[in-house]
Amino acid sequence: MSAHSHSQGHADHGNPALQMGHHHVSSAKMFFNVLVALLILTGITVAASRVDFGGANMLIAMGIASIKASLVIAFFMHLKWDTAINKIVFLCSFLFLSLLFIFTLADHATRRWDNEMHTVRTPVSNEFVYRQQPHPENH
Amino acid sequence: MTTNVPVIDSHAAPVAGRKNFLNCSSGFLSWAGTLDHKRIGIMYLVGVSLAFLAGGLFALLVRLHLWKPDGMLFDNVQYNQIFTLHGAFMVFIFVIPAIPGSLGNMVLPLMLGAKDVALPRLNLLSFYLWLAGALMATLAIVLGGFDTGWTFYAPYSLYTDQAVVTIGLAVFVLGFSSIFTGLNFIVTVHKLRAPGLTWFRMPLFVWAIYATAILQVLATPVLGITVLLVAFERLYHIGIFDPRLGGDPVLFEHFFWFYSHPAVYIMVLPAFGIVSELVSVHSRKPLFGYKLIAFSSLAIAIISFLVWGHHMFTSGQSTYALFAFSFLTFFVAIPTAIKEFSWVATIWKGSIALNAPMLYTLAFLIIFAIGGLTGVILGALNVDIHLHDTYFVVAHFHYVMMGSIALAFFAGLHHWWPKMFGVMYNETLAKIACGIIFVGFNTTFIPQFIMGSRGMPRRYATYVPDYMGFHQASTIGAMVLGAGVALMVFYLVASLFQGKKAMQNQWGGVTLDWLTPTPPPLENFDEAPVVTTEVYDYSTLDYKAMQTPVA
Amino acid sequence: MSHDGHHSVVIPAPGPEFVPHTVAHHFDTPVQEFQSMKLGFWLFLATEILLFGGLFAAYFYFHESYPETFRLGGHQLDWKLGALNTSVLLLSSWTMAMGVRSSQTSQKQKTLFFCGLTVLGAVIFMVIKFFEYRAKNEHGLIVFSELFHPYDLTTNSLPWFKDYDGVMAGVPHPHLFFAIYLTMTAIHGLHVVIGAGLILWIMKGTAKGRFHAGYYLPVDLVGLYWHLVDLIWIFLFPLLYLVP
Ligand SMILES: [Cu+2]
Repeated sequence: MSAHSHSQGHADHGNPALQMGHHHVSSAKMFFNVLVALLILTGITVAASRVDFGGANMLIAMGIASIKASLVIAFFMHLKWDTAINKIVFLCSFLFLSLLFIFTLADHATRRWDNEMHTVRTPVSNEFVYRQQPHPENH
Repeated sequence: MTTNVPVIDSHAAPVAGRKNFLNCSSGFLSWAGTLDHKRIGIMYLVGVSLAFLAGGLFALLVRLHLWKPDGMLFDNVQYNQIFTLHGAFMVFIFVIPAIPGSLGNMVLPLMLGAKDVALPRLNLLSFYLWLAGALMATLAIVLGGFDTGWTFYAPYSLYTDQAVVTIGLAVFVLGFSSIFTGLNFIVTVHKLRAPGLTWFRMPLFVWAIYATAILQVLATPVLGITVLLVAFERLYHIGIFDPRLGGDPVLFEHFFWFYSHPAVYIMVLPAFGIVSELVSVHSRKPLFGYKLIAFSSLAIAIISFLVWGHHMFTSGQSTYALFAFSFLTFFVAIPTAIKEFSWVATIWKGSIALNAPMLYTLAFLIIFAIGGLTGVILGALNVDIHLHDTYFVVAHFHYVMMGSIALAFFAGLHHWWPKMFGVMYNETLAKIACGIIFVGFNTTFIPQFIMGSRGMPRRYATYVPDYMGFHQASTIGAMVLGAGVALMVFYLVASLFQGKKAMQNQWGGVTLDWLTPTPPPLENFDEAPVVTTEVYDYSTLDYKAMQTPVA
Repeated sequence: MSHDGHHSVVIPAPGPEFVPHTVAHHFDTPVQEFQSMKLGFWLFLATEILLFGGLFAAYFYFHESYPETFRLGGHQLDWKLGALNTSVLLLSSWTMAMGVRSSQTSQKQKTLFFCGLTVLGAVIFMVIKFFEYRAKNEHGLIVFSELFHPYDLTTNSLPWFKDYDGVMAGVPHPHLFFAIYLTMTAIHGLHVVIGAGLILWIMKGTAKGRFHAGYYLPVDLVGLYWHLVDLIWIFLFPLLYLVP
C-alpha cells in the first residue's frame, strides 16, 4: 500500500478545477517511522526524569516534548507540506503564547530581587514587602 | 480603485423594482437563519445599538447618583453593581463587537469584491454566541447582579456572593463570538479578494479590520481561560488566584490584561479604519501615507501584546517588570501618531465636504488626540502611581472608548447608512446631534480629568464635597450627551420610515463597496468585479452615480 | 432572487459508492473552499493553543513558587499509567493520520477501520484516566464528592483535599498541584471526548460515501483536531507525572 501512496494522491490531477489544492498524501511507512520515533522519545522522557540534572531537568523534559510536538505538527498534521500562511498562523500561536510566559514569569522571578534589595538596605520596609508576598516559603 | 465597466453601468442605470438584500426575502426566519453577511451585519447593528443604549442608561444612573457627595440613588453595593453593568455591557457587549460585527460584516466583503465572508455559517454562529452572551449577562443581573467591576479582579471576584460565575461564562461565550468573527475575517481577506485586488489596493478599513482580527484570534483565548479559571475558583477553589490558598492575584491581572490591553486595540483599530476611509472620501483625496497607515495597524497589533503590565503599576509587580512595561508602552504612541498625522495631512488642502459623517470624523480627530496623549501621560511610571485608579484614568479611556470609538462608529454608521438601507437621514438634525454629542462629551469628561488629577478615586459611591462642582458639571455633560444620542437614534430610525432616497453613490466613494448597486443585491455584485486601478483613485469617480437615486 | 443563475462547482464522486461534493456557492473553486476552511481551522487551533497556554503559564508560575509541592505531588501520580496513556494517545494519533490518508485515497473500509481504532484509543485513554482519578479520590487527594463544597474559612481547609495518608505533609499549599492537575487533565479530557465524537461523525459521513479523494476536507480537519489533543498531552505528561 505504501508504495502506491504518492501515485494515488495525484490521481485526480487531470482536471485542475476539481482539485482540492495541492494536497500531499504521505506514505504509510513515514507515518509509522514517526510513530516509532514518538514512542522512543517517550521512553527517553521517562529515562531522563530518573536522572538528576539539577535545574536542567525541566529544560530537558520540555526540549524532548518540543521535539515530539514538532514531529506531530510537521508529519501527522502535515504542516510541512501546508501553505505558508497556515504555517505562520500556527507558529504565531506559540510565539504570542511565549510572550505571556516570558513577561509573567519574568515578573514572578524578579520579584525576589526586589525583596533582596530591601533586605540589605531597609529592613523595616522589607518586613512590609515580606508580609505582602504570596509565598513566603521561598525565603 | 475601480472595476470593469459593467459594475458601474449597473447602478448608473438602475432597474426599477430590482431586488436587493433587504427585500429579496421576508419573514422572521429569512433573517434569523440568514447566512448573508449584510443581514447578519444588520442584526448585529440592532443588537449592539440596544446594548449601547442599555450601557448608556447605566452610565446616566451612575452620573445622577454622583450629583451629591453622599450619593442620590443607590446604596454602595447597588452603586458597585450599576457601574459594573455599565462597564461590562459597554466593553464586552457593545464596543468589542460593535464595529467588526455590524459595519465590518456589512462592508468588508463588499470592499473585497466577495459574495460573502469565507465562512457564512460560522458568521451566523458568532452572532448567536453574541446573543447568548448578552442574554447570560442579563440573566446575571436577574440572579442578583455582579459588583466586581468589568475587570473581575481577584481576590474580590472570588469572594463576593454575587453572580460572578454567570457573568464569567457570559464573557467566555462573548469571547468566542469575537474569536470567530476575527477568524472569519482573516480567512476572507486572505482567500476571497477580487482578482486584481492586491494587498496594497485594499481599502484601509479592510487593513484595520484585518489587524483587529489578528488580535481577536490571538488574545481572546487567554481571556476565555481566565474567566473560566475564575469560575472554577469559585466552584472548587483551585487556589491559583486566591492568596488564602497560596495563589497570587497578580497572576490574574497578568492573564486579564494580556487580553484586555490588546482588547483596547480590538476596539479602536476598527475605528481607525473607519476614520481612514472617511477622511479620504469626504476630502476627495487619496490617503496621505496609505502604506504607513496600513503597516501602523499591524504594528499596533503586535506592540499591544508587549505592554499589558502598564495596567498593573500598583499591583505588586516586580520593579523590573514595571520598568519594562512602562518603557514599551511608549512605542504604541509611534504608529498611533503616524495615523493621526496621516489623517490630518489627508484633509489638508482636500475638497472637504462638511456633511454629517465628516463632522463626526473631525470630532473623532480632536477627541482622539486628547485621548491618545493622556494615554502617554499614564504610561509614564511615576506619573501613573499618582493617577492610578483616579478619574483621570476614567476620563482618559472614555476619551478613547466613547469619544473616539463610539464617535467613529457613529461616523461610519452615517457614512454607510445610505448604502445599507438606500435612504438618507435628515442631515440638518445629524449635524445638530453631532454638535450636541461633542459638547456633551467634553463637558462630561474634562471635569473628570481635573478632579482625577486632584485625587478623586474611581468607583466610589460617595466623595468629599470639594469635588462636587466637577461631579455636577460632569453629570450635566452626561445628560447633554444622552440627549444628543437620543436625537441621533430618533432621526436614524425615522429615516427608515420616511427618509428620502439616497443616491447610488451618496458620498462619491471609489472603493468597491460604492461600486455595486445601492442597497447591494444578495450576492453583492451583478458581475464579479475585477480591480484594475490603485486604491482611492478619485479620477475614476463616476459622477453620474452620485446623482442617480436608488431604484 | 435574480442571481440564481450562478453554476455551482461539483466535485464528482470517484466511484459508485461515493457521493459528489457541491462547492459552497460563495466560492469560485474547490481550491478556494479547501484553503479557506483549512486556514480557518488552523486559526481555530491557534486559539486552542493560547487557551491551554494560560493553564501552562499557571503551572510554571506555581512550579516556580512551590517546587517541593510540585515534586511531591508528581510522585503521587502513577507515571506508568501516564506513560501508558501517552502511548495510547500517540498510537491513536498515528491511526488518525492513517485514517486521513485512507480518506485521501478513497479507501472507505480502511478509513472506517483506522477511525474506529482512534475512537477505541480515546475510550482506553478515558478509562485509564478514570482509574487514575479514582485512585486520587481514594487517597483523599481529590475528593470528587466534595469538590464543589464551600471552602471553610474558619478551619482554613479545602473540603476536597483531605490527604488521608499524609503523603503531602510538610509542603506549602499541597492542594495546588492537584487542583492544577485536575483542571488541566479535565479540560484535556473534555477535548478527548469532543474529538472522539467528531471522529464518529466523520465515520458516519465516510460510511455514506461523502468523503473521498476529491473531497476529504472534514476528515482532514477532524484529524488536525485529534493531533492537537495529542500535542497538548505530550507536554502534560512530563509536567504532571515526571515533575522536573
Ligand atoms: Cu493598556
